[in-house]
Amino acid sequence: MDNGKDSEVLSINKLSKHYSGYGSLFNFKKNIIKAVDNVSFNVYKGDIFSIVGETGCGKSTLSKLILGLTNRSSGEIFYKGNILNYNLKKLDLRKKIQIVFQDPYSSLNPKKKIYKIVSLPAIKNKIIKKKDALEHSMQMLKKVGLDENYVFKFPHELSGGQRQRISIARSLSVNPELLVLDEPVSALDVSVSAQILNLLLDLHEKNDLTYIFITHDLRLVRHMADKVCVMYGGKIMEISPVDKFFDGPLHPYSRVLLESILAYGPKNILQFADAGNININNINAATGIEKNNRGCVYYNLCSRREVQCIKNEPELKEYGDVQVNCFFPYYSSV
Amino acid sequence: MSLIINDLTVKLYTDFKKKEFFNVADSVSFGVQNGEIIAVVGESGSGKSFLGLSLMRLNPPYISEISSGSILISDSGGFEKVDIVKLKENQLSGVRGRLISMIFQDPNVSLNPVIKIGEQIVEAILAHKKMKKKDACDVAIHYLELMRIDGKARFNSYPHELSGGMRQRVMIAMAMVLEPAVLVADEPTTALDVKTSLQVLALIEKMRFEKNVSVLFITHDLSIARNISDKTIVFYAGQIMEYGSTEDIINNPMHPYSISLTKSVHGLSKDYAPRERLFVIPGTLSQSDFKSGKCRFYNRCFKKTKECLNEIPLLKLSSGRFARCVNIQ
Ligand SMILES: Nc1ncnc2c1ncn2[C@@H]1O[C@H](COP(=O)(O)OP(=O)(O)OP(=O)(O)O)[C@@H](O)[C@H]1O
Ligand SMILES: Nc1ncnc2c1ncn2[C@@H]1O[C@H](COP(=O)(O)OP(=O)(O)O)[C@@H](O)[C@H]1O
Ligand code: SF4
Ligand code: SF4
Ligand SMILES: [Mg+2]
Ligand SMILES: [Mg+2]
Repeated sequence: MDNGKDSEVLSINKLSKHYSGYGSLFNFKKNIIKAVDNVSFNVYKGDIFSIVGETGCGKSTLSKLILGLTNRSSGEIFYKGNILNYNLKKLDLRKKIQIVFQDPYSSLNPKKKIYKIVSLPAIKNKIIKKKDALEHSMQMLKKVGLDENYVFKFPHELSGGQRQRISIARSLSVNPELLVLDEPVSALDVSVSAQILNLLLDLHEKNDLTYIFITHDLRLVRHMADKVCVMYGGKIMEISPVDKFFDGPLHPYSRVLLESILAYGPKNILQFADAGNININNINAATGIEKNNRGCVYYNLCSRREVQCIKNEPELKEYGDVQVNCFFPYYSSV
Repeated sequence: MSLIINDLTVKLYTDFKKKEFFNVADSVSFGVQNGEIIAVVGESGSGKSFLGLSLMRLNPPYISEISSGSILISDSGGFEKVDIVKLKENQLSGVRGRLISMIFQDPNVSLNPVIKIGEQIVEAILAHKKMKKKDACDVAIHYLELMRIDGKARFNSYPHELSGGMRQRVMIAMAMVLEPAVLVADEPTTALDVKTSLQVLALIEKMRFEKNVSVLFITHDLSIARNISDKTIVFYAGQIMEYGSTEDIINNPMHPYSISLTKSVHGLSKDYAPRERLFVIPGTLSQSDFKSGKCRFYNRCFKKTKECLNEIPLLKLSSGRFARCVNIQ
């Protein structure tokens, strides 16, 4: 706390996760999916660090790596200077980082009553005694705006939004320092979402929390975050302070993302039916770069591409306090 | 009209032995024209999914039952008319998927985890259509591509190998592949990013213009309702609270619940202050709010009076506009 706001909480260094997965209909040879590819960034104490990008770009895989829920292919993760190695079962570090999952359906144990689910991490980490589980979880439910009586119910008896509030309550129950929020409100209705966002902001202010906030909603990034990190095809495209980003991002893909929220309007909807590229989920294969590992992942869709972009791969480069992964960013030095 | 719901009431038992229940849908009546999109908006737990599931007769058995009302569905030519409520169990499979189809809020419900996604779609096609397997494969790939999934490359993927958003889109492809007359879409874009969400909304719009599909679009997001629907039903604790054209409901809400809902959206307005706390409707929706005898919104309403402690009827405000409140004007 005394080393100020600028102290590093999380530092990610050249992290990668490659899945060797499916064979295709016409080609049964195994394909490699680079869900997270050579990613590096720092998160500082007190930050709300948001990660955006479209579906399948690797956001959830990245959060699973941070939590040690999946093995990395290469790279390192440091928590306050200590290397995180989940195989060593460093429990004291583990409880400092908690996650709220995107999918409220599969993340709750269907056979357990709500109060057991909510209090389990707190009991495991010896924050409360087992006999206080009920009382403790009632308090946590209140915190996330749920009726206390839900403690006796099972997850399947609750609607989607109610379940997501349970998983937020569960992760808050161990007083974590770093919270990874993987689309925490995307399954919630407006009124509950408003409540959860207010709650997350209050908790952040009062408890010295640091958030990694994964979302696909740029409106939310603007509402919540200090920094925004744009991902595409498993790679980081841009890391920028939020106000600068909304004034005009530097990466061509960031521009497209920003335009797509501005175009959001009733008469504009139909035009999107034929737009877009079906290969979006298969970026590595589509660009044909998996063989020689060269070239920019965004090449196929990019409006600013040049020959150089298919020959060489750009790297994250600093432009003032913005980092951009592009040979030709929208940057003027004046 | 391709869908007419008349006085539909669905009981949900909280204790079956003691015959304790509440109406998770309470005298719900409305119609959807051919090619019309009606949005159902309301908070989570208000019974939207139950309403959608009941239209397919997929409401959970034993704990819930349709106790009265009718659900009339006809194909766009008007050649075939059925009352879903009256169908026998063995007649339902001939109707589901073909006349009425649903995109579920929970992708795990409709995707089989141990069957490759391409095969699941092919199975759905072959269950209703006489077609060569090869042709069905082509149709499946085509519909996956419509959803911006590389159909050929992903044909042999299992559901768990896809991201959440991809799974959702596979499900949408599966629901649309038989070109049903009525599509119930239960929060189909909730798990999707902005770009993909726009695409899916656009595809649903396209289906309604080109194939005349009638859509009941369930969402909690008013900005999505505004983007896609012609009319909006504001739903709370099993009842229609307000009904009207989407523009009217969003720009000029009359019911206290609709007013509260519109105030809690985080927007993108110019004079927008980051981290400003949003409006929150006091209290929560609990199952006791479904009980009859008073206005369902009573506990959380900023306008409540003694008069609200009765059953409140749905009142006509003007042509095509209804609200369930005694304190309007
Ligand atoms: N267990 C797995 N096996 C094989 N491939 C996987 C697995 N999990 C994820 N992937 C692949 O890794 C890529 C990234 O997936 P991820 O879940 O991280 O996406 P995401 O950015 O969180 O997307 P969304 O916004 O839809 O949640 C996708 O191409 C996905 O198909
Ligand atoms: N399978 C179930 N068993 C018992 N109660 C349920 C079940 N599913 C939902 N409920 C209850 O029914 C009510 C309506 O839920 P639901 O239709 O899922 O709401 P919505 O879709 O509007 O969020 C809620 O009170 C919820 O707790
Ligand atoms: S490096 Fe080239 S292809 Fe890649 S984003 Fe920049 S301009 Fe586009
Ligand atoms: S009837 Fe009464 S309690 Fe119900 S919404 Fe109207 S004013 Fe509020
Ligand atoms: Mg994800
Ligand atoms: Mg629902």
